[in-house]
Amino acid sequence: MSGSLPAEVPVPPAAAAPGIEKVRITEHEQLADGIWRLLLQAPRCAATILPGQFVHLRITRADDHVLRRPFSVHRVRGRCIEILYQVVGRGTGLLSALPVGEERMDIVGPLGKGWQIPTHAKSLLLVGGGLGAAPLGMLAEQLASQGRHVEVALGGASADRLIALELFRRLADRVEVATDDGSLGHQGFVTVLAERMLAEAGFDAVFCCGPEPMQRLVARHAKTLGVPCQASLERLMACGIGACFSCIVPTRSGQMRACVDGPVFDAEEVCWGDS
Amino acid sequence: MADGEGCEATSAGPEVTDEGMNLNVDLKVKIGDLDLKNPVMPASGTFASGRQFADFLDLNRLGAIVTKGVSLEPWPGNECPRIAETSGGMLNSIGLQNPGVEAFCIGDLWWLSKNAPDAPVIVNVVAHSAEGYPEVIKRLEREPSVAAYELNISCPNVDAGGMAFGVDCTSAAEVVSLCRAVTNRTLIVKLSPNVTDITRIARSVEAAGADGISLINTLLGMSVDAHTRRPRLARVVGGLSGPAIKPVALRMVWQVANAVAIPVIGMGGITSAEDAVEFLIAGATAVGIGTANFTDPRAMMQILDGLGEWCKTHSVSVTDLIGSLSLEA
Repeated sequence: MSGSLPAEVPVPPAAAAPGIEKVRITEHEQLADGIWRLLLQAPRCAATILPGQFVHLRITRADDHVLRRPFSVHRVRGRCIEILYQVVGRGTGLLSALPVGEERMDIVGPLGKGWQIPTHAKSLLLVGGGLGAAPLGMLAEQLASQGRHVEVALGGASADRLIALELFRRLADRVEVATDDGSLGHQGFVTVLAERMLAEAGFDAVFCCGPEPMQRLVARHAKTLGVPCQASLERLMACGIGACFSCIVPTRSGQMRACVDGPVFDAEEVCWGDS
Repeated sequence: MADGEGCEATSAGPEVTDEGMNLNVDLKVKIGDLDLKNPVMPASGTFASGRQFADFLDLNRLGAIVTKGVSLEPWPGNECPRIAETSGGMLNSIGLQNPGVEAFCIGDLWWLSKNAPDAPVIVNVVAHSAEGYPEVIKRLEREPSVAAYELNISCPNVDAGGMAFGVDCTSAAEVVSLCRAVTNRTLIVKLSPNVTDITRIARSVEAAGADGISLINTLLGMSVDAHTRRPRLARVVGGLSGPAIKPVALRMVWQVANAVAIPVIGMGGITSAEDAVEFLIAGATAVGIGTANFTDPRAMMQILDGLGEWCKTHSVSVTDLIGSLSLEA
């Protein structure tokens, strides 16, 4: 890193070239059953990552585990990046067992194309479902710091599984929540909230992330009202840098790669499946 | 392995320079008419055309760049999910997605000629029919920056062509003969391990005019999610790669190197310099690095540096190592 950079590095306007960086776990805690918050010391990435970008984490050096795992970055805190994740398989299972102080992991990043904030957008709606709310954290911080009107529709299985609720409540002008079990807010899908909020106010753009059926519905509601919508899509990845063609997203412009052409896509471009 | 970690990999400066590294070490090898400054190259399909790796390593240091498969027309590839991690490896069923030879020439090939002029380009060629292979080569013959061809007759992930040519001696030889007729450039044939006797296929392609043989392509495999009872790959079956297949690859490299006179490029689960040395000892003249590129995009630089160190420490050249397997008790 250049020695001439000031201590507080401003977020650059264009995406920085990715690099490999050793990381150290500085905080690691379980927020709810199977949902974890991980804070990694990664100064290069922290200084350059843009909202909606991701990192590719090498969890272990064991020979039986060859692939990295992609994680969106929830927030940047000083020299650290914060990741919110759910244990879903071998990789995240191994990760959840690692203690604070662990420093054998490394990341490739920052990677991908993040959220594109329309310059003149005044009023924005963020829709997050489950862990999909994680990549909306940095975005909400940036939008709020720019003085834009931000509303959030947040969905989860239950009240304790609503991701980053406190952060959104602090930053946003309005937060509505939906839970599957009705333990907080609307009982049902967050898409119902999103549809209602879209109809109530004139938003200039919608940003959403979550399960693909949810994103497809939000995209449809937004399109009906003529509001531009961006969606952050999740795919299994091997390389994360555009070489292996594992993470394909069918779009109107052809087969795109979630790792370099996304993960954030113009929702109208995406050929949504029947999932 | 720990040394060299944690550096800021901005424009990929390797810690040890070529000059410092190779001062007294001879890493040079020859495949057909192709003189390589070292034996380290990517395995096709794991490296695209190298452009995506330029942020992490110095492409010009590679012995060669082996491209992802190139077909005459664009191929869309298979449905997702296309990959699944397995113990010690991964399955893939990408399906040779590529933009076609014309787009390849004006895109990646042009970029390589400007940005990696010191790395010979070996273009991996795919087709749905035997007659399709020479059609791709005819177009590439007009490109001066192509150094050699690797005929992919071993991809397990396409319905027509691919592996179908590589599991039968007659059809494998036919593809090679048709291609031999349209080029004088070095012709390498990539073989499938999914056969009863790989030496028979190897001898067939040698007799048909191949200058070199690369092996192994992926082993046909499958993964099932017990909870959903669904296959983990959309196409159900795919190709297994990674450290899990290294013993199979070493065995086949050894068998083929003993069966033919042309050089062998060995690959299958190589992740370290010592792995590469093992393949050279088993009879490989050069080595391909595949899945390790996903684990660490700098893998080939570490293997190249490590190979130089190995040769220096043991006072040998790479050619001294090739086929040096000791069978004495």
